[in-house]
Amino acid sequence: MAQNKIKDRLPLIAPAKFNLWLFMLSSSMLFAAFLSAYIVQRPDSIAKQTWTVFNLPVYFFYSLIIAMLSSVTMQLAYRAAKNDELAKNKQLIIVTLLLGLLFTLSQYLGWRELLHLDLTFVNPRPEDISASYVWVITVIHFVHVLGGIVLLSIAWVKTAQLNIHKKKLNFMSITNTYWHFVGLLWFILYFFIYFAR
Amino acid sequence: MKILSRTFTFNILIKKLLILLVGAFVTLLSHAQALTNVIEPPKEFDPSSWNWVNIFIIILVLLIVLVIARAFDIGGLAEKITGKKIVSSHKINGYVSLVVLILGLFGVWWELVNHGKLLLLWDAASEHGADLDSMFMWTFGFTFVVFIITEILLFYFLFRYHYREDRKAEYYFHNNKLEIMWTIIPAIVLTFLVLRGFTVWTKITQTPNKDAQEIEIFGYQFGWKARYAGEDKQLGESSFTLISGTNPLGLAVESEATTLKSNLESEILDLKSILASSPDSIRLWRAALNSMESKGLGNAYVEEHKLLKEKVLDGESGAYANQIEKDIMRKETNVKRVIAYLSKATIFNKSSYDDRVTTEIILLKNKPYLFLFRARDVIHSAYMPEFRVQMNCVPGMSTVFPFTPIKTTEEARISKGNPAFDYYLYCNKICGSAHYNMKIKIVVLGTESEYQTWMLAQAKVVPPAIEAVPASAKDSLSVLPTIVSNP
Amino acid sequence: MSTVALKEQDSHTHEHHHKESFVSKYIFSMDHKMISKQFLITGIIMGVIGMGMSMLFRLQLAWPDEQFGILEMLLGKWAVDGKLDPNFYMGLVTIHGTIMVFYVLTAGLSGTFSNLLIPLQVGARDMASPFLNMLSYWFFFLSSVVLMSSVFIETGPASAGWTVYPPLSALEKAVPGSGLGMTLWLVAIALFIVSALFGGINYISTVLNMRTKGMSMNRMPLTIWAFLFTAILGVLSFPVLLGASLFLIFDRSFGTSFYLSDIYLDGIGALENVGGSPVLYQHLFWFLGHPEVYIILLPALGITSEVISTNARKPIFGYSAMVISLASISFLSFIVWGHHMFITGMNPFLGSVFMILTLIIAVPSAVKAFNYLATLWRGNLRLTPAMLFSIGLVSFFISGGLTGIYLGNAALDIQMHDSYFVVAHFHLVMGSAAIFGMMAGIYHWFPRMYGRMMNNTLGYFHFWITFITAYLVFFPMHFMGLAGVPRRYYQFTLMEDFSIWGDVNKLITVAALVGGFAQILFLYNFFNSIFRGKKSTQNPWQSNTLEWTSPIEVRLHGNWPKELPTVYRGPYEYSRPDRDEDFFPQHIKDEESPEVLYTTKTKVAPKKVVLEEESNVFFTAIKRLFGLSR
Repeated sequence: MAQNKIKDRLPLIAPAKFNLWLFMLSSSMLFAAFLSAYIVQRPDSIAKQTWTVFNLPVYFFYSLIIAMLSSVTMQLAYRAAKNDELAKNKQLIIVTLLLGLLFTLSQYLGWRELLHLDLTFVNPRPEDISASYVWVITVIHFVHVLGGIVLLSIAWVKTAQLNIHKKKLNFMSITNTYWHFVGLLWFILYFFIYFAR
Repeated sequence: MKILSRTFTFNILIKKLLILLVGAFVTLLSHAQALTNVIEPPKEFDPSSWNWVNIFIIILVLLIVLVIARAFDIGGLAEKITGKKIVSSHKINGYVSLVVLILGLFGVWWELVNHGKLLLLWDAASEHGADLDSMFMWTFGFTFVVFIITEILLFYFLFRYHYREDRKAEYYFHNNKLEIMWTIIPAIVLTFLVLRGFTVWTKITQTPNKDAQEIEIFGYQFGWKARYAGEDKQLGESSFTLISGTNPLGLAVESEATTLKSNLESEILDLKSILASSPDSIRLWRAALNSMESKGLGNAYVEEHKLLKEKVLDGESGAYANQIEKDIMRKETNVKRVIAYLSKATIFNKSSYDDRVTTEIILLKNKPYLFLFRARDVIHSAYMPEFRVQMNCVPGMSTVFPFTPIKTTEEARISKGNPAFDYYLYCNKICGSAHYNMKIKIVVLGTESEYQTWMLAQAKVVPPAIEAVPASAKDSLSVLPTIVSNP
Repeated sequence: MSTVALKEQDSHTHEHHHKESFVSKYIFSMDHKMISKQFLITGIIMGVIGMGMSMLFRLQLAWPDEQFGILEMLLGKWAVDGKLDPNFYMGLVTIHGTIMVFYVLTAGLSGTFSNLLIPLQVGARDMASPFLNMLSYWFFFLSSVVLMSSVFIETGPASAGWTVYPPLSALEKAVPGSGLGMTLWLVAIALFIVSALFGGINYISTVLNMRTKGMSMNRMPLTIWAFLFTAILGVLSFPVLLGASLFLIFDRSFGTSFYLSDIYLDGIGALENVGGSPVLYQHLFWFLGHPEVYIILLPALGITSEVISTNARKPIFGYSAMVISLASISFLSFIVWGHHMFITGMNPFLGSVFMILTLIIAVPSAVKAFNYLATLWRGNLRLTPAMLFSIGLVSFFISGGLTGIYLGNAALDIQMHDSYFVVAHFHLVMGSAAIFGMMAGIYHWFPRMYGRMMNNTLGYFHFWITFITAYLVFFPMHFMGLAGVPRRYYQFTLMEDFSIWGDVNKLITVAALVGGFAQILFLYNFFNSIFRGKKSTQNPWQSNTLEWTSPIEVRLHGNWPKELPTVYRGPYEYSRPDRDEDFFPQHIKDEESPEVLYTTKTKVAPKKVVLEEESNVFFTAIKRLFGLSR
C-alpha cells in the first residue's frame, strides 16, 4: 500500500518539543510545591525553635556558576549546530557535558559539607527540618540534572554520527531548552534558599 | 390485528391482577403497621416506623419494573406481530421519565416529611447555632427551589420533546439576554449567601470573649479527656514529652517528670543490656529453631514455629538489633527533652497542680466557653453536632472554638421527649480501628451550685496533701495516686 | 547514514498496514484507539472491584450485628465469623475511594475518552507521542496491580481514608494499615501520577498542536475543550501530589519530620519527630485534591455536551458560554482547596477568602446546567441510552452541585464537615455524575470503538435502575448528615443518636445492592456486544464530529486512509433550517451533501417507517396501563 504515504500538514511545533515544555511546566509545579511548603513551614518552625539556620555550602554557589557557564556553552553549541558548524558543535557539547559532570562533583562536595556540619537528611536531630528541605530540593533537582546529562550524552553520540545539523535541530533544541531549564531552576532554588534560610 | 388485541386483553388482565396484588399487599402491611402500633406505643424518636420505608420501596420497585417491563413487552410484541417497527423507544423513555419524575418528587416530599423532623435544625444547643440554622434555612430555601424547578424541567423536557420523525429541532443556540440573566441571578443569590456566611463565620470564629472559660479537650486513640483549670483559673503547661502512663496528658508536674526520666533511663539500660546480649540470644533462638525443625515439631506448633522463625530471621538480618538501637535513640531523645524541661523550671509553676482532668464535659448554661483542642497521636476532630461545633485536634498544633451552650441537658431531654438523651462529643476524623466508638459525654447544667458540687467532686491532678511534701521526699513515694486511668 | 536521514525525513508521513504482531497490536500497542480500550477495560475491572468493596461495607453498615458467612468465605481473617473487621472496614473505605477517584474516574474516564476522542475529533493521526501514551497506560496498569496487591497482604491495605492524612498514615503503630499497605498505596499513587502526567502532556500537546486544517479552537467539540482543561489541571496539580507523597514517604521510611510533630504513641512513647505540620500535608494534598474533582467531572461534562447536542438534534446552547465556564471552573479550582480545611484551625480570615472563591464556582456551574436545559428545550430528543445517561448526569450535577453551596460556606461547614452530607454531596456531584458521564460515553462511542452496537433495551434497564438506585442511595444520606451522623464510622449502634438511622441504612444498602447488581446488565451488554453486537453503520448517531469519518470497520493506525479531513464549521450544526438532513458534518463543504462520507457501506438510517395508527395503539396501551383512558 505504498500509495498511502500521504504527507500531512506538519504540526506548528515539533510534538516532542511541545511535550518537553509541558514536562518543564509540570516539574516546575513540583518545585513550586516544595518551595511553598518551605515558605509555609519556615515561620512555624522558627517559632517552635526547630529550624536550624545555616549557610548553604559554598560549593552550591560554585555549582550555580558552573550551571550558568554550561548554559552559555550549550547555547553556543546550539548556535553552531544551527550554522552547520558540526565540529564546533561537537566540541561545545563535550564541554557542556564536562561542565555538567563538574556540576555533579560540585553538588557532591556541597552535600559532603552538609554532612560535615551534621546537617543530615534525618538523624541525629530530626527536628532540624530545614536541612531535610535542603536535601530534598537539591537531590530532586539533581535528578533533573541527571536527565540533562543523559540528553547531552545522546546529543554527543548523535553529533558523532553526524546526526545533528542545520536541518535536524529537533533533538539539539530539546537538549538546549532542557539544559537551560535545569540551570535556571538551580538559579532560582539557590537564591530562594539563600534568601529564605 | 386480532392477535394483537388478544394480547392486549391478556395484558390488561395481568395488569388488573397486579394492581389487586399490590393493593392487598399495601393493605396488609399497613394493617400490620397498625397492629404493631397497638402493641408498642410509638416512640417519638422512632423514625416514623420503618415499615413505611419498605412499603415505599416495594411500591416503587414494583411500579418501575412493571412500567418498564410492560412497556418494552408491549413494544416488542407489537413489533413482532406486525413485523414493523411501530414503537419508539424514545416515546417509552419519555413516559418513563415522567413517571420517575412524579415518583421522585413524591420521594423528596416523603423524605422531607419523615426524615426532615429528625434533623438537627431548629433547636441548636448553642448561641451561634441559631445563626447557623437560619443560614441553613436560607440556603435551603434557594437551593431547594432551584432543585425542584430544574429537575422538573429536565424530566419534563425529556417527555415533552422526545424524538418524533416528523418534527425537527429548533435551530436555537444562543440568547445573550437569557445567558446573562442566568449568570447574574445566581451571582446575586450567591453574593447574598456569601455575605451572610461571611458575617456568621466571622462572628463565630473571630469574636474574642474575655470572660470565656477555657477548657482543654484532649483527644487520643480512642477517647477524650477534658481539663478544667483549678482555683488559679489557669490551665497549666503541658508537653507531649512529659506524657507517661501516670500522666496521660503530659502535664507539667515535676514529680511526674522526674519519675518519667528515671523510668526512661532504666528502660534504656535494660534495652542496652538486651542489645549487648543479642548475639547470644539470637544464637539461642537459632538453636531452638534448629532443634524444633530437626524434631519435626514445626508442623505441630505452627504459630510458635512461625514466631520463632521470624525472630531468628530478624535477629540474623540485623533488624532486631536495629530496632533496639532505634528504641534506645528515641528514649534518649525523650530523656534529653525531659531534662531540658526540668532545667527550664518556668513551666513547672504548679499551675497545673490544681487542674482537674475529667471523663465528662460539664458545662454551665449561658456561660461562654473557649475550647482548646489538643491531640496526642493522630488527628482527631471534636464534633458536637447538637452545639454546631466542630474543630480538628492536630498533634503539635493548638486549635480553639468559642461557644456558649444555651440549653441544659434536662431542657434538651424535655424538648426532644427523650428522657435518656445526652449530648456527646464525637470523633469525626478517621483515626484508627475504634474511631467509631470515640466519644465523651457532655452535660449542660442549669445552676452554678450543681456545677460547683460536681467540680469539687473531681480530683485534682496533684492532690494538695502530696503537693505539700518536699520535692526530695516525693521520689520516696513509690507510687503516685493515679488520677486518670491509663487509656 | 543516508538511510537514517531518509527515515527521519519520512517520520511525519505514515505507513499504514504494516505488519503488527499480537503483542504490538493488543498489548504494547501505540495506537491511541487500542490504548483507549485498554484504559476502558482496566477501568471497568477496577470499577467492579471498587463497587464490590462498597457493597461489602454497606452490608456492615446496614446489618452491623448480623453475621454473613459469605464474608468469611470471601475475606478469611478479615471477616471472622462473618463480621467485617473494623480495620479492614477502613481499608475497604480507603481503597474504594482511591480506586473510584483515581483508577476509575481519572484513568478510566479521562484516559479512555481523551485517548479515543482527542486524535479522532481534532483530526490527528495519533497522539503527539504514541510511545509516551503507551507508557502512560502501562504505568497505570502497574499502579493498579500494586494497589490491588496491597489488599492481600498480612497487615491489610492502607486504611487512613483516601486522603491518607498523616500522622495516621505515617505511623505504622497507629493503625495496622499504615504499614506495608500504606507503602504500597504510595508507590501505586506515584506510578499513577507518572501515568497521569504522561497522558496529560500528550493530550495538551495533541489538542494545541496537531489539529487538522480548519479545526480552529472555536470549532473544537466541547469534549476536546473539556479534555484540554482536564489535562491542564492534571499537569499542574499532580506534581504537587507527587511532592506531598514524597514527603510522606520520607517521613515514613527515613524518619524525617515534614508532617510529624509532638506525637506520643501508646506503647511506644514520645516520638523524636518535632517541627513538622500535619496540616501542611492537607494543603499540598488538596491543592491536587480539588482540581482532581474537576479532573473527574470535566470530561464527563464534555461527553455530556457532545451526547446531548447530538441526540437532541440541536446545537449546544451557548457554545462560548460553555467554554468560558469550563475555563473559569478550571481556573477557580486551583484557588479553592482551602474549603476542605475550614475546620483544621486555619486562619479564619483565610477561611472566608476560600469561602468566597468557592461559592464563585457555583456561577459557571449554574450556567452549564441552565445551558444543558436550554439545549434540551424544543429539541428532538433521541432518548438513546447514552442520552439518558447524560440526562442523568445533568440531574446529579444539579442536585449534587446545589449541596456544594452549603459545604462551600465556611459557617455551615462547621456543622456538616465530614458528615454524611458530604458523602451524599460528592457521591452525587462527582461520583454518580462522572460515572454516568462515563456510561454515556461508552454507550455513545461503543460503535466507534468496536464497530458494533450495544443492546438498547438492556441499556434502558441499566439506566433506569442505576439512576433510581443512585438517588435512593445518596438522597437519604443528606438527611443523615444533617442529623450529624459522621462518615467513616464502622457501625452506629454504639451511638444512640445515630442508631435511629438503622432502617435508612438498610434502605441504602438494599438500593446499593440492587444498583450494584444492575451493573451486571451493563457488563453483559458490553462484553457481549464486543463480539456479538449488531454491526454498526459508519455514523450511527448521525453525528457531526470527525470521529465518525474515520472508518470504523477496520482498525487503522493513522485513523484516515487518505488525507486528513478538513473542517469547515463548528461541531454542533444540527437541524439547520436551510438543510434537509438534521445534521451537517464538520468536514463537508457547504455545497456537498453528507452522502460522500468515507465508507463503503454507508447507509443513512431507514426513515419514515412509523405508521401513525400503530403507534397510537401503543400510546393507548400506555394510557390504559395508567388507567388514563378506557
